[in-house]
Amino acid sequence: MALLEAEQVVMRFGGVVALDNASVDIDPGEVTGLIGPNGAGKTTLFNVVTGLLPPTSGRVKFDGHDITRSTVAKRSQMGIARTFQKLEAFNTLSAFDNVRVAVEKNHRAKWKHRRVSDVAHEMLGKVGLDEVADVTVGTLPTGSARLVELARALACRPRVLLLDEPSSGLNEDETSAIGQMLLDLVADEDNELAVLLVEHDMSFVMGVCARIHVLDFGKIIAVGTPIEVQADTAVRAAYLGSDEFRAAYAGVDE
Amino acid sequence: MIFGVRRSVAVAASLGTLAAVIIAVLSWKGAPVTSETFLVTTYIGLFLGALWAMYATGLVVVYTTTGVFNFAQGAIGVFAAFLYWELHVNRGWHSILALFVVVGLFAPALGVVLDVLIMRRLRTASLVVQLMVTVAIMVLLLSVVGDIWEADTPRRVPYLFGINNGIDLGPSQLPWHRLIVFLVAIAIAVSMRFLLRRTRIGTAMRAVVDNRELAALNGARPNVVSSTSWALGSMMGALGGILIAPELGLDPATLNNVVIIAFAAAAFGALKNLPMAVIGAMLIGLLRAHTGAWLDFGPDFRFAHLSIAPLLLLFVVIALPQARLEVGRLAHHLRRHERYTKWWEGLLGCGVVILLAAAFSGGWLDFGGWDPGAWGSRELNSANEAMALALIGLSLVPLIGWAGQINFAPLAFAGFGAFVYLKLAGDTGNGYWILMVGLLCAPLGALVALPAARLRGLYLALMTMAFAQAMSLIFFPHPWVMPIIGTGRQFPHIDLFGITFDDRRGFFMLMVSVFAIFVYALVLLRRSRYGRRWMAINDSQAAAATLGVPVVWTKVVVYAVSASMAGIAGVFWATVSGNVDSVQGFDLLIGFNIVLLVAAAGVSIPMAGIFLIFIPLFKGFGLRLEDAGNVDFLVTLLDIMTTYGPGMLVLGMVFNPRGAIFEMGRGFSPILPWRSDARAEIAAENAQKREPEIGELGLERPFTPEEVIAIDRRLEILDDVVPKEGYGTSRS
Repeated sequence: MALLEAEQVVMRFGGVVALDNASVDIDPGEVTGLIGPNGAGKTTLFNVVTGLLPPTSGRVKFDGHDITRSTVAKRSQMGIARTFQKLEAFNTLSAFDNVRVAVEKNHRAKWKHRRVSDVAHEMLGKVGLDEVADVTVGTLPTGSARLVELARALACRPRVLLLDEPSSGLNEDETSAIGQMLLDLVADEDNELAVLLVEHDMSFVMGVCARIHVLDFGKIIAVGTPIEVQADTAVRAAYLGSDEFRAAYAGVDE
Repeated sequence: MIFGVRRSVAVAASLGTLAAVIIAVLSWKGAPVTSETFLVTTYIGLFLGALWAMYATGLVVVYTTTGVFNFAQGAIGVFAAFLYWELHVNRGWHSILALFVVVGLFAPALGVVLDVLIMRRLRTASLVVQLMVTVAIMVLLLSVVGDIWEADTPRRVPYLFGINNGIDLGPSQLPWHRLIVFLVAIAIAVSMRFLLRRTRIGTAMRAVVDNRELAALNGARPNVVSSTSWALGSMMGALGGILIAPELGLDPATLNNVVIIAFAAAAFGALKNLPMAVIGAMLIGLLRAHTGAWLDFGPDFRFAHLSIAPLLLLFVVIALPQARLEVGRLAHHLRRHERYTKWWEGLLGCGVVILLAAAFSGGWLDFGGWDPGAWGSRELNSANEAMALALIGLSLVPLIGWAGQINFAPLAFAGFGAFVYLKLAGDTGNGYWILMVGLLCAPLGALVALPAARLRGLYLALMTMAFAQAMSLIFFPHPWVMPIIGTGRQFPHIDLFGITFDDRRGFFMLMVSVFAIFVYALVLLRRSRYGRRWMAINDSQAAAATLGVPVVWTKVVVYAVSASMAGIAGVFWATVSGNVDSVQGFDLLIGFNIVLLVAAAGVSIPMAGIFLIFIPLFKGFGLRLEDAGNVDFLVTLLDIMTTYGPGMLVLGMVFNPRGAIFEMGRGFSPILPWRSDARAEIAAENAQKREPEIGELGLERPFTPEEVIAIDRRLEILDDVVPKEGYGTSRS
């Protein structure tokens, strides 16, 4: 059974339908991709899953429980963590304190036998930010602030990790390091971690994802392995005319 | 959902009805209800409602189009009413001409000036800065009115067409003035609704507040839009002020307080829905008129009928649905590194403050040959008062400074603290009860915050304001709360550690010590997990929630902590004057001034508290100058500073939202031997300030203005600023 399921989610803003019966399911032990053109509803789906937006209809299930009505904080305690497409780091806190807020909140439930500062340092180390631990996040470059968000999310010891464009603002080396870290995290069976990844960098997505959901105008138009999705005619049609995709895609085809 | 009604609405509606029925049954006057009396009461209620609707319409229009909630709306009305009096009554202009000059020329000009100089720059500012600045404008406008039109002359603004002309309604008469007010208010509301919903500029106005850049791309002109809104809002405030002045009398405070009712009415329409805001205003008007006519609350609750607006606000706040946590509104860039005060720095600072205070009050310091001598009782008195206010101000540091939540009711909490202390230790003065005061004030703070904490920050601000008003109307005037036992001292001297602090100098030092303890506790709190969490919810509530932080609960806790500190401070405040009347003197305007001063000082830094201690020092200094004679100029200067200072300082927040202490700290800290980090930062900044040489940019000559425009177009920089001559040239 899937660890996290969004079932027939509809999200309407006035007359605009951002999600139209979108269903997504993700399994532990692998990275699942969620791709689609700009405005397809990827971030909206993240907001529905994490509880920031109540869906117009549909359900969200975590580990078999219906969590559609649960609060954001409750879902986090159950094990859903995320990063944001537009930065939501705690700008006035240092990188270390950003992570500490997360560790402290989850200390009793998830990190009982370790010191808060040890965990926080370990998480910053995982994303390669040990050196800027004491720097105020608002003064860091965007890419690094994104990594702070990632470290913060990891500090919640999640079972489901939702990443909204983690590679933007990072260079190629940093991106591939993050990719490798994600693969290591999900490969570690103790973690039982499932990752849902929204990404525009197609070579990154195709490289790390076991399965990919393709979203277009709020609808899921294809689900499958990277190879299946690349061959899918509906996907190609949805992306035709999208320069951004063609450019990103060119590297993969060759 | 129950029968299609949201649960919170149902709960609030049933609570409201229940409260109304209980109150009505308990205090029914027994006057006969006839159709005539009922009709007359209703028409008075509708008329009152229409006046408030006018204010509320202005508030809603400005809020929906600029995103700024204008606390100065009432003060604009006050200013306009006085100006109208000046032109019409004092200079004998015809009423229509005076009305046209004030409402048609002065008010829109004021609105545009406010927009261009201040409001436009607040678009991306935090809620704290936005509210502080509009409150500062309110306080400044009221000060100006007080200075131009001195309070000793009685003034009246006449009714339009007189009070005796109008339609005969049988038992009473409906003067033209009131009929006109009613019709004008409805006409304004309807036309504003039409403007916002049905016209092109209205659509642009509403679009700009959602996404300025996107609206600009579609041809809207954000600056024109915001100036239009402020001009319109200001006109409605002015008209409301002029039309309501004949009813209430020309008193700045009374006229200004009208706006609180308008806030409740606007909240009834969730701050954005015009028709509902008008209905809310009418509802308050009707409730007010009918409670006045049929109910009698007795002498103990003689002001209770005035608290309908705060109560309605409470029910509205309960009924509103939980606010969504917003994402994507955060500006990422911070210019400066944040640094926490270290525990030993806090200790050092507090020690210095205590020593300085002892030196000043004891007269140990010699100022270059001029010996100020020890403070006399008068200086000590004012220093004590100011010190107590500074203590109250400190309670706002965790709340406003760290968690970014507003509290306009620090004095109400302080008054509650004084009340608790009077009940516990009124006879003995046992100082250990002060700790109990702290414990008992915390739940009150939590209770006030609870209904509004799940909504946007603005509602918490309004809620605390409503709470302050309700406390001063219902709670404090009750004889059981603050017994009026003739004259003399009712608050005992505080007795602590076997010492009775009955002399003023000793009490001053006691307060300074408490102040130092508060500051030090704050320094430690900021470094703790709680301080971190509070600052986190200030930066991003959505992110905090996704990490498992219960945002609503966290806010409630901060309010509890702040209320607890304010309560303790209140004990000292009441003890300073020794009289229970001082507690009733805790009015909203003084509260605003404290909040403003703390905000301007730099409320996010615990050491900002040390800034506040300069107030008593200045005050003592001013009194000494007065005694010395021949320094009228300096005394006047100090006077002006105390009247306009807080407001002016807060306006500085438009450019420097962190407050004065922040800048002072940056100037001061490089001097400290252990702050090599501060010196390095300054050096780095200076290095950055240097403009690059043309050669370094790989250019042979500076760009011409035409090239700059072409580049901007290419990069889609949609700035319509015309580049200055020689743009891009190096200054070196």
